[in-house]
Amino acid sequence: MARGFGLMIYWRSGLKKKELYWALLVFLAPAVLALILMRIIPAAQALIESLFKTNVFSGEKTFIGLENYFSLFANPDFQNTLFVTIVFALLVNPIQVFSALLLALLFVRKFPFSRFLRSLIIFPVAVPPAVSAVMWSAIYRPDGLANSILEALGLAPQGFILDQRQALMSIIVMLSWIGVGYWMLFLIAGLNDIPDEIYEAARIDGAGYLRQTVSVTMPLLIRPLSFVLVATTISNFLVFAPVLILTRGGPVGSTSLLMYDIFVRAYSFGDVGRANAGVFILVLLMITAVSLQFFLLRKGNQQ
Amino acid sequence: MKQNLIKRSLKTAGLGLASALILTGCATTAVEPSQSAAPSPSEDITSQTATLAFIGPEAPEVFQPVIDGFTELYPNITINYEQIPFDQLATTIEQRIGSGDSSIDIYTVDQPWLAQYAAKGYLEDISYFASEAEAAMPAAMYEVNFYDDKMWALSVWNSTQMMFYNKDMLDSAGVEYPSSNPEERWTWEEIDAASKKVVDSGSAEFGFLLEQVVAYYQFQAIAESAGGGSGITGDDMLSLDLANAGWTKALNWYQDSFKNGLQPTGVGGFDTGPMFSDKKLAFFVGGPWDVGIFGANDVNWGVAPHPYFQGGEAATPTGSWSWGMNPASLNKAAAAEFLKYAAINPDGNLKTTEALTVIPANQAAAAKYLPGLESDPRSAGVADIMLYEIQNTARTRPSTVGYVQFESLLSVALEDIRNGADIDSRIKALMASIDDAWELFR
Repeated sequence: MARGFGLMIYWRSGLKKKELYWALLVFLAPAVLALILMRIIPAAQALIESLFKTNVFSGEKTFIGLENYFSLFANPDFQNTLFVTIVFALLVNPIQVFSALLLALLFVRKFPFSRFLRSLIIFPVAVPPAVSAVMWSAIYRPDGLANSILEALGLAPQGFILDQRQALMSIIVMLSWIGVGYWMLFLIAGLNDIPDEIYEAARIDGAGYLRQTVSVTMPLLIRPLSFVLVATTISNFLVFAPVLILTRGGPVGSTSLLMYDIFVRAYSFGDVGRANAGVFILVLLMITAVSLQFFLLRKGNQQ
Repeated sequence: MKQNLIKRSLKTAGLGLASALILTGCATTAVEPSQSAAPSPSEDITSQTATLAFIGPEAPEVFQPVIDGFTELYPNITINYEQIPFDQLATTIEQRIGSGDSSIDIYTVDQPWLAQYAAKGYLEDISYFASEAEAAMPAAMYEVNFYDDKMWALSVWNSTQMMFYNKDMLDSAGVEYPSSNPEERWTWEEIDAASKKVVDSGSAEFGFLLEQVVAYYQFQAIAESAGGGSGITGDDMLSLDLANAGWTKALNWYQDSFKNGLQPTGVGGFDTGPMFSDKKLAFFVGGPWDVGIFGANDVNWGVAPHPYFQGGEAATPTGSWSWGMNPASLNKAAAAEFLKYAAINPDGNLKTTEALTVIPANQAAAAKYLPGLESDPRSAGVADIMLYEIQNTARTRPSTVGYVQFESLLSVALEDIRNGADIDSRIKALMASIDDAWELFR
C-alpha cells in the first residue's frame, strides 16, 4: 500500500526521478538529522562512555570493557530494578492501551455531554508530569483525597505509596490518569477513519455491536493501535518524574524503575560509567520490547 | 546518475555525522581541578560592571537583603539569584558545575558536601581568606570548610535544634512542661510517655514529629545519643558502622514511634512544620528558623532543649550552609568580594539572617542576633538553649567524600523503616548499596 501511494505521488507530481529523490532527501533531512543528533549519537556515546571508569577526583578515564555491565548485573539493587521495570512494563502498557481503547470506543459515539467528558479525560495531558506527581503525592497521603474517598465509601484506608505492595500500582494509576486521554485521541482518529459502509454491511449480515467491534473495528484499527502500543511502551520505559517526587524508588525498592536508577547514579552519585551502562541496557530493553510488538502485530499491519 | 546521487548523499551524511560527533565530544570534557589564582588585592572590581549568578535552595526573599546590601557598596555589580529546591540542588550542582558550566558564580554548599565537591574540583580554592575567616568564625565553622589543608568555602549559617511544645495540648492532657534548662532536658523516653498521654487523652492527633524526619541531619543526633556514633568510620572515612547496638536501638525507637501512632507517617519536606502550626501534634523538634515561622501562628508554644536517650549523652544536630565559588566562574574577583561580604563582614552576614531565622556563622553577627530572637514572648529561653547546644552538644556531620551517596541512600532507608520495613535486613541492604556507590572512591 505504501508503495502504491509512493508511485502515485511520483506520477502526479510530474517530477523526474532524480528530482523526486532530492525532494525526499530535503524533506526528510531535518527529521533524520534530529534523529541522529539526539538519539543515535547520544546512544553511541552512552555505549562508549559505559566502557570506561572515571576517576572521580582526577577525571581520568580508564578503559574497563564490559566491567560496568558485569558489576551492574551482579548488583542485587540493579537486579531488582530490572525486575521492577519489566513488571511495570508488562502491567502499565496493556492497562493504558486497553483503557484508551475502551474510552475511544465510548467517545466516538454521540451522547449528551460526550464532548465535555472527553475534554475532561484529555485535560490531564496538559499538566506537566512533575506537577501531576506533586498533586498525586497529596492525593496519596494517609490523610489525603484517596483515603477520604475510601472512607466515605466505608472502605479501609490504604498505604498507597507508603505500602510496598501498592506503590507500583499507585504510580501506574497516576500515569494512566495522565496518559490514557492522550492515547485515546489517536484511537478515536483511527476509529473515525473506518468507513461507515463497512459497518452497514456487517449490520445487514446480522452482526451485533460486539461482533462488529471484534470482526470489523479491531482488524481495521490495528495500525493506530500498534502505534499507540509502541509509543506508550517507549514513554513508559522513560518514566522517572513520579518516582523522583513520590517514592524515590521505594518503599524497599518496589518502584525502582530503570530510568530513575540511571538518574540517581549519574547525578546524585556521579557514577557516570555505570549510569551510561544503565542507559544502554534501557535502550536494548526498549528495542527488544518494540521489536516483539512489531513481530506480533505484523499480520495485522500487512492487511 | 542515481548512483552519484546516493554517493553524494552518503558523503554529506558522513560529514554531518563526523562534525556532530566532534561538536558533541567537545561538550563533555571532565572537570579538571583548577589552579586557583587569588584575585589580586589591587584588582579593582569597582571599575567594570559584572553580573554574578548565585544559586541556593532558599526562597529569593531570604537572600534579597544581603544582595541589596552588597549592591549598595558595589552598584556596578548585579547579582542574580536562582532558587533550586533542596531535593534537586545536589543533582543541579553535579550537572552544571560538574560539566564546567560558567553560568554559576557562587553557590550554597551544604557543609557535609564540601569534601566531595572540593575533591572533584567543583570549588575554587579560597585559602586567601583563611586568616580573616579564622578571626571571624567560631572554630567549628572555620574548620568545616577545610579539605586537604585548603579552604574551599566560607560558612554563612550555623544551626542547632530545639523542641517546641504546644502548652495548651499539654495542659489538656495533664502533662508537665519540659524544662528549658539544658542540664535538665527531657529524655526521648519521657517524650514517648508524654506523647502517649496526649494522644490517648484526645488532646492531639499525634504526639511529636521530627522536622526533617527522614534526613541524616536530624537522625544523626538520635543515633549519637544512643551511643551509635555517626555511622561512618575509618581513616579514609569510607567504612560504615550502621549495624551497631546504638544505631539498632535508635532505629527501633524511631520505627516504634510511627508504629504506635506517636509520630505521623506520610508527611515530609515542608509539610512537617505546618503539622505543629495546625495543632496536630504536641512536640516538634525543629531549628531556629521555626522560631520565626511559628512566630506567625496562633499556637501557645514554648521552647525546650533537644531530648536525649536515658543513659546516653546529649547530642544535637549542627552545621549549615557555606557558600563557595565555581572554579569555572568568569567573575572571580567580584564573586570573592561577595563571599567576603556575606560571611566575614558582620553586617553582611547579619543581613543573610534578616528574612529567615537562622544562626549567623559570623561570631560578631551571632552575638548581635541571638538576643533578638526572644522578641516573641513564646520563645523565651531560646537564645540560652541555642548557645549552650552550639558550645556543648553539637555533633558535626562526618567529613567524607562519600557523603552525598551516604545521605541520599540512608534517607530512602529511613523512609522505609518509618513505614515498617524490617530494620536488620534493610540496614544490611543499605550498607551494601552505600558500599557499592562508594566503589567510585576506592
